[in-house]
Amino acid sequence: MSHEFHVPLIIRGEIIANATIVHGGRRGGASFRAPDLAEHIGKLTLRTPSHMADLYTISFEDILDYLVALGQRLDFESNQHVQEAFRLSCITSGLSESILRFHYSHLGGMFDRAEMRAMMERSCGVDYLEGWVDQGPSRFTGLSARTRAFGARTIHVIAGNAPIVSILTVIRNALTRSDAVIKLPSNDPLTAVALVRTMVEMAPDHPITKHISVAYWKGGDQAIEEAIYDPRGVEKIVAWGGFDSVKHITQYLQPGIDLITQDPKMSGTIIGKEAFADDATLQSVAKRLALDVGAQNQEGCVSARVIYVESGTDEDGVERANRLGELTFAALQHLPLHLSTPHKAFDQALKSEIDAVRLQDEEYRVFGGRGNEGALIVSQEDYPVDFSRDLACRVGNIVPIDSFETAVRSVNAYTQTIGIFPESLKERLRDRLAFQGAQRLVSLGGAATMQHNMEKQDAIEPVRRMVKWVTEESADGSMLEGLAG
Amino acid sequence: MSDYFERLLADPTSFHNAPYDLAFTLTIEQIEQLHLEGARKRFGELRPRLSVLDKLAREQDIETIDAIDDIAPLLFPHTVYKSYPISYLERARFDKLTKWLAGLTTTDISHVDASGIESIDDWLDLLDAETDLTVAHTSGTTGKLSFVPRSKEQWRQTIVHSATIIRHWWGRDSGPNILEDKIPIIIPGYRYGAAAMQRGNGIQVDLYAGGEENALFMYPEARFSADVASLAGRLRAAESRGEAGIGDIPQILLDRRESLLDLERRRPEDVRHFFAEAQRRFGGRDVYVTAMWAILFDWAEEGLKRGIKNIFGPGSVLLTGGGKKGKDMPDDWREQVLEFLGFSNFYEMYATSEMMGLCMMCEHGNYHIPPVIIPFLLDPATGTPLPRKDGATGRFAGLDLMPNSYWAGLITGDEITLSGWEKPCACERTGPHVVPPVRRYSEKEGGDDRIVCAGAPEAHDRALEFLAELSM
Repeated sequence: MSHEFHVPLIIRGEIIANATIVHGGRRGGASFRAPDLAEHIGKLTLRTPSHMADLYTISFEDILDYLVALGQRLDFESNQHVQEAFRLSCITSGLSESILRFHYSHLGGMFDRAEMRAMMERSCGVDYLEGWVDQGPSRFTGLSARTRAFGARTIHVIAGNAPIVSILTVIRNALTRSDAVIKLPSNDPLTAVALVRTMVEMAPDHPITKHISVAYWKGGDQAIEEAIYDPRGVEKIVAWGGFDSVKHITQYLQPGIDLITQDPKMSGTIIGKEAFADDATLQSVAKRLALDVGAQNQEGCVSARVIYVESGTDEDGVERANRLGELTFAALQHLPLHLSTPHKAFDQALKSEIDAVRLQDEEYRVFGGRGNEGALIVSQEDYPVDFSRDLACRVGNIVPIDSFETAVRSVNAYTQTIGIFPESLKERLRDRLAFQGAQRLVSLGGAATMQHNMEKQDAIEPVRRMVKWVTEESADGSMLEGLAG
Repeated sequence: MSDYFERLLADPTSFHNAPYDLAFTLTIEQIEQLHLEGARKRFGELRPRLSVLDKLAREQDIETIDAIDDIAPLLFPHTVYKSYPISYLERARFDKLTKWLAGLTTTDISHVDASGIESIDDWLDLLDAETDLTVAHTSGTTGKLSFVPRSKEQWRQTIVHSATIIRHWWGRDSGPNILEDKIPIIIPGYRYGAAAMQRGNGIQVDLYAGGEENALFMYPEARFSADVASLAGRLRAAESRGEAGIGDIPQILLDRRESLLDLERRRPEDVRHFFAEAQRRFGGRDVYVTAMWAILFDWAEEGLKRGIKNIFGPGSVLLTGGGKKGKDMPDDWREQVLEFLGFSNFYEMYATSEMMGLCMMCEHGNYHIPPVIIPFLLDPATGTPLPRKDGATGRFAGLDLMPNSYWAGLITGDEITLSGWEKPCACERTGPHVVPPVRRYSEKEGGDDRIVCAGAPEAHDRALEFLAELSM
């Protein structure tokens, strides 16, 4: 490698660049240097809650001003930190350079004033963030209450599959007036650093800058984690990621620490029989399906993987499903390069599964999948492939069904987004899909737009859960005295 | 010597009982000739009779083997022997499973009527009874079972082959002749079952021990059920289909999952009882032990804790492999096991269930690939074969020429380093050898803190974890 990457430790505006420890460098991975966190561990979390006070000297509008200004400074052409994060991501990310370039060229777009305000209005209510909101009359005469949303001291164990995770974390932390320690993921150690370095350069003494820290340590480092996950310095943990990483964190849970898990999810598709009305409709459905499978190279939890199609399972029905597979594969190959490309590190375990089912043409029809171009595997019965949970790198599995009942019953708590065609089917199924476990229902093709999901995320509303809802009550003194008898 | 080589050229199956030391005296030129002619022979004979191989050859547009690398595109992904849909099991479509298997073997199984069959065990028994096959399944605890269509004759050959290795590996007649001079056999596992581990049991009892009274198993009456072994893969597949999938799992299987937990509770007592029996019946005598290191270590650790060591006679032999298998064992695990067992002659192998040949570890710690296995190193990203250069690392693939009724050409999930093409091993055995460590690609890819938001969570399931331990 011609260039060695440095991942600084940034604690409340102080940049510690003395990178002595080499991390990573596994097969296909980049190595990077980071400071020895053990030397600075004592000051990483905020053990003095009184230091949260400075966040309450500024208004919500001030915070928006700050974030809008930050967004303007994240310009790809001029911001070296963003360029550095992009360069490292090109090595560590599952996304191709063309997709990453698009993401990093549009980092600022997420800092839209109206959008940020709307997101907080929907999740917490800006008046709750700004002050004490009267809760209306109570059963007890003379008792009144006011509630306000307060920020919390939080560790964010973030995912690294797309830069938006770092951006969302910074925005949510600022708007909720929280104090964040971001634990960097090894698959994207520099995007959050780029944001926070830019904050330090822009406004080194601003309270928002003083309440965000970023650190890399090897997940599972017991000495570090025992010191960090301590209720004296941490009130909440926001943990993204898989079973192992979350399971690992649970060993540090104790009264006083609230865990918000952003579990790994899978997304899918339900396509009604209307798709086969005529060839033009089928062509359109195939293009929209290609988008749900292929956008962001299927690296996201929103990406479609198993696609239930109400084509029927008799010979004609399976042929209809095969035709959809063929058209979708063709459409996949024509997606714009900023959205989707052949995968640069095609999963070889998945490749060997595809190679094996290709030889079983009674059970499966495979379109593509010879190299890294992606594939549509059409089951010839109403069963998904046995490796459905490993579908990745732009590989979808079309499953023909006789009735959407099968599709509905296949949805579970791990299902995040479901793309549905036609609209009428979505409305018909939405309540049932919700109680099966689905969390976001979109028009086919809309899975990766992510609109209206920035704060709802996986139907758990993490922003609402990131704040502490504090209530202040007043009662008439003589009424209370009367209760004492 | 030249007789030996000529016989191998004419019939690679003859390797199974030929003096094993001769295998590693062939010149590289002879090995290359054997590889090329053997590959042509197997491909020529098997392609017309194996529909899956034929399909792959057509896909890859390969008609003749002109150079050894022409074989590489014809190697099966290891997933081929488990490429049937799990729905066959859920819907009890054993007729379809039979048809699927028929595409992978030249043994005629077309007369088998599996239409009434409801469990994998019954299906395997039916094939045992009505065909020349004794199908072995992998333990496959993390996923689906592979089914390897090995014939009854081939099973017998593998057991004879192991005895031949034991006799000649450290030099001609350096080890006991356990085919002639019967020896007690000790196996800390199930006596019955169709997993590769159990398939050889009956033949070993017969050929090595000379009868059941000279054999000890941890579970002498019990069968390691393929249906139980398939649980993890089936539950995983079912769970990813939500409520629709869970409803398809037969209650009887869920009950068997529960009984695994009972077995786990009894396990420490079973292990104690087993080695007490081993000591009582065969203590001080020369014996044959075969088991994976990890299981032996459990046994040894328990024994050494109680001050028990040197159980067996110094002329005993141990056939083993498997390394740590992800278990937490100290670095001196081999020494501890041998101290407990009381002898030092062990034969450690690296092997693949679909192949008959074994790669044995030499005194320099390298695993020697027998000349009847044609090894390839594939570029892990593209699958193209790497040149035969000492010290190259890649994905291990190989074609074993011994099986003559199914295609033992497989791409494994292992990353290995190969040497011995240009310069022989320090032990002076000729031919290619694997230089440790051997690593699973799947293990290398996980395990660090690359965190992504996509994926299906795994529920913690103690019964299935125990199953994984049990089937090692």
